[in-house]
Amino acid sequence: MGERELTYGDAVKEAIAEEMRRDPRVFIIGEDIAEAGHPFKTLVGLVQEFGTERVIDTPISEPGYAGIGVGAAMTGMRPVVDVMFGDFITLTMDQMVNQAAKAHYMSGGKIKVPIVFRTTLGATRRSAAQHSQSLHAWVSHIPGLKVALPSGPYEAKGLMKTAIRDDSPVVIFEDKMMYRMKGPVPEGDYTIPFGVAEVKRAGKDITIVATSSMVGVALGAAKMLEDAGISAEVIDPRTTWPLDKQALIESAKKTSRALVVDEGYERYGVTAEMAAVIAEGAFYYLDAPVKRMGAMDVPVPFSPVLEDLTVPSEKTVFEAARTLCRK
Amino acid sequence: MATNVIMPALELAQETGKLLRWIKAPGDTVRKGEPIAEIETDKVTIELEAPASGVLSAVTAQEGDVVPVGHTIAQIAAPNEAATRSPQGRGQGEGPEAPAPDSRPKASPLARKVAEEHGVDLARVKTASGKIEKADVLAFVESQRVVAAPTNGSAGRLVAASPKARRLAAERGIDLRALKGSGPGGAVLTLDVPAATAPSTTPPLPSPQKGEGGGVGTVWRIMAERMTASWTSAPHFYLVREVNVTRLVAWLDKARKQTGAHVTYTDLLVKLVAATLAQHPRVNVSWKDGALERHADINIGLAVALEDGLVVPVLHKADTLGLKEIATRREDLVARAQSGKLRPADIQGGVFTISNLGMYGVDAFSAIVNPPQAAILAVGRITDRVVPVNGQPAVQPTMVLTLSCDHRALDGARGAQFLGALADLVEEPLALLV
Repeated sequence: MGERELTYGDAVKEAIAEEMRRDPRVFIIGEDIAEAGHPFKTLVGLVQEFGTERVIDTPISEPGYAGIGVGAAMTGMRPVVDVMFGDFITLTMDQMVNQAAKAHYMSGGKIKVPIVFRTTLGATRRSAAQHSQSLHAWVSHIPGLKVALPSGPYEAKGLMKTAIRDDSPVVIFEDKMMYRMKGPVPEGDYTIPFGVAEVKRAGKDITIVATSSMVGVALGAAKMLEDAGISAEVIDPRTTWPLDKQALIESAKKTSRALVVDEGYERYGVTAEMAAVIAEGAFYYLDAPVKRMGAMDVPVPFSPVLEDLTVPSEKTVFEAARTLCRK
Repeated sequence: MATNVIMPALELAQETGKLLRWIKAPGDTVRKGEPIAEIETDKVTIELEAPASGVLSAVTAQEGDVVPVGHTIAQIAAPNEAATRSPQGRGQGEGPEAPAPDSRPKASPLARKVAEEHGVDLARVKTASGKIEKADVLAFVESQRVVAAPTNGSAGRLVAASPKARRLAAERGIDLRALKGSGPGGAVLTLDVPAATAPSTTPPLPSPQKGEGGGVGTVWRIMAERMTASWTSAPHFYLVREVNVTRLVAWLDKARKQTGAHVTYTDLLVKLVAATLAQHPRVNVSWKDGALERHADINIGLAVALEDGLVVPVLHKADTLGLKEIATRREDLVARAQSGKLRPADIQGGVFTISNLGMYGVDAFSAIVNPPQAAILAVGRITDRVVPVNGQPAVQPTMVLTLSCDHRALDGARGAQFLGALADLVEEPLALLV
């Protein structure tokens, strides 16, 4: 049987639907997710199968329904809280950071918060500065939260299922530019473990660690590098927490050079953390400084020309890698 | 005001100093305290530091010149000041040329202030417009810094190198300063570090040529590198025994008569050490990659001082050689070492080294282990010493043997057993026959 292909968006929906069939405690709550099938059309048909009791539309009220989700999780449900744009986690921060992340610890393990916050990241959709940010570094910073960044349809389904079954609060960031991207997705049940990086492409001259949609960018750059005589290894950590530090370190030890690419703001970002992990763990094996590539330190511009310049591209990753390899 | 750079007096009785190398070239911007030249006295080599910030000029001493202490060898011209022609010239009435007022570079006050802070001569800062602003000065400072970096590995900072290159160089016993870096600002990268050569089998062939790398020949450089590698990687310990050599002295006499060869104490010691090593194979080892490597053959190295450094030719399978053969081979090796005609095979495969400084009147000394060997025997002179015999002072010829050991390959007990057995043999060489 040939491999079935799904879009990234359909892979997310399939994961949620399978989990809702599997476990009656699972429900989803958010804005425009029922009749509208989500603004990005990722949940079309879900309300028809599960009804409005389990696919719950809310008013524009992120802090309120995020709180409903945390409370439901504390009392035994397994909610998926849909935050349309990652930029809006500004509004759900207290529920995530001070409630969901802390309850298990502060209750001495008596309370579990098995909640999934499903939201987005990614620029270049011409959505301007308040709808284009990649803020996953904020939650990756918080002990008690797990953070997953699916880089393709296969990961979108596998990581979502792992997230829903996890007893800890998990934040999943989907790149809104990837929803129509197609790729092989197995039918039926499978999960992807958290904290296990995947080597997307083996190489020996430079390690490119990339997250979410930057994995595709890194693979494109790796192809260009190959033509330039440079063998790049591309690694997808898949979760920023738990982070597969050993995979990053071992790869950097092997290649002696590392470039970390992520779409979040570069300063104080996910790239900084991963670069530091590599610098600490592989220091005596490095032949060049570890390089970070994130989003430019500016609010994402509305001008398409300018917006495209603010995030890493195949070309800029290629050039940075080539410079590190001094070729 | 220009500041004179003078040949310093580093020792009380020093009269002259030799200018080995200019680290800075005339026209270079220097900062106070920065090394500008290397000076050699009878005993030491030091870096001469700039006495002031400014531009190095009026250089009169060339590399290799021997200059009386206190004589001016260059000047540091203050920023903004054209250098005087030469220190000697002044005495002949050629006063310093004062720059004409309108030849002063057109610079903003801020640029002047920044230039002063960085010791930059504004005359050297070129701009398209002819006017100098702060950014131009800073760009100039930056460009100088980048140019200076590769040669400026001595200013108390680490040599620029990637962590990996630094680790590899340390593992291979290579001095980073001897390498030319291809990285940014001259940083040494992995590809600049020569591939590992197993020191026991393929040390670079010493060649007699001199004058390479600031007056140091290849032999000296290799000695420096290998001793540094040993001292920084092999934890040393030392065992000392004073031995009665009455029998050894008598044996030498007989051996010379019997063999007709010019047998030396060193030859006798080679014979005895080889025999002791055969009895103590646990000393015939090397520490390699976290394990003990045992050697099959007993190849004894002899430290031979040359005019331009130290080499250690090897007597292979010394335990199988007779005294006459040892003496003949040793003479041949030493002669060829001194004429720079050693072949690679002559210096390879040593497992133990003997260093004898007795002929220089040295009583005792502690040698540095010759890597990757486990031990080296330092031999002092034979002389009459007072020793207690049956509770009474007696005068006997004795010799002090010091065994330096690599504590990764040997422990105190193994070393002591070996040295004890050797001492017994020296005191009673007849035991060889047993």
